[in-house]
Amino acid sequence: MGSACSPRACAFRMAWKFKKMRGFTMTNTAPTPPQGKSPFLYVGIMFAAIGTVIALAATDAINGPTALILMIAPLWLVIPAVKAANRRAEASCAGKGEVNRRYLRRVAMFTSFYLATLALMKFINKDFDPAIELRTFLALLPGLAIAGIFWSIGRLIVEQTDEFIRMLTIRQSLWATGFALSAASVWGFLEQADIVIHLDAYWWAVWWFFGLGVGAVINRIQYGTWGAV
Amino acid sequence: MKNRLKVLRAERDWSQQDLADRLGVSRQSVNAIETGKYDPSLPLAFTIAETFAMPIEEIFERG
Repeated sequence: MGSACSPRACAFRMAWKFKKMRGFTMTNTAPTPPQGKSPFLYVGIMFAAIGTVIALAATDAINGPTALILMIAPLWLVIPAVKAANRRAEASCAGKGEVNRRYLRRVAMFTSFYLATLALMKFINKDFDPAIELRTFLALLPGLAIAGIFWSIGRLIVEQTDEFIRMLTIRQSLWATGFALSAASVWGFLEQADIVIHLDAYWWAVWWFFGLGVGAVINRIQYGTWGAV
Repeated sequence: MKNRLKVLRAERDWSQQDLADRLGVSRQSVNAIETGKYDPSLPLAFTIAETFAMPIEEIFERG
């Protein structure tokens, strides 16, 4: 098995080891290279911008198509967010390295594709009243983009070389699956009994992603670390 | 399973990250194995044994 670190991060560690040999420091873990801005900063700005556009649309300050176009612009912040996440993964050498970089690239690509096709579908359906064939094609695209994100998580599990991190990812996915399917089952019967409103099926994918977060918290409690997803 | 990873590591003055780099795994993995939260697979146990140049049974024992 090879080292999990990138050349840059490992060069930083070698410098640290040299200092350690000369008696400068003695801790349980090596320091990490400079990590730059947090990816959450970019994601936060992106959501704040999208929220502002939604607020403007809700108050009729801008019309629907303008809002859709304006909502796509902040999505480019996904790129610096992914770069920042890569820097952190590289700095921590958390068994992620190239595998994690590939995963983040795939997720960023499918997320961008999802948002762009969703906006395109809404825009064309609203203003052009397209034929059934075109509507079907446009409606398939966002769903396929979400399927691409599931595929990315599957590839992360297959490509992960760190068995402990792979186990955490599988546990997260199992928690997410149990969470989403349980929620769908309960909601379905409540809906049949006319107690709750109808939810479109794609919301269960959203619940699945939320379930990943639940799995990460449980990993943290049981194993002391969140996992890779 | 119990293990002597922490002691062996301390004897060599290695940090968890040092050992993780040698094994090609994350520091979290080393920490989870050391604290008994995770039992390594047989291939990883062999790699650990090779890294410390010791037989597996001198590093791991049934808990």
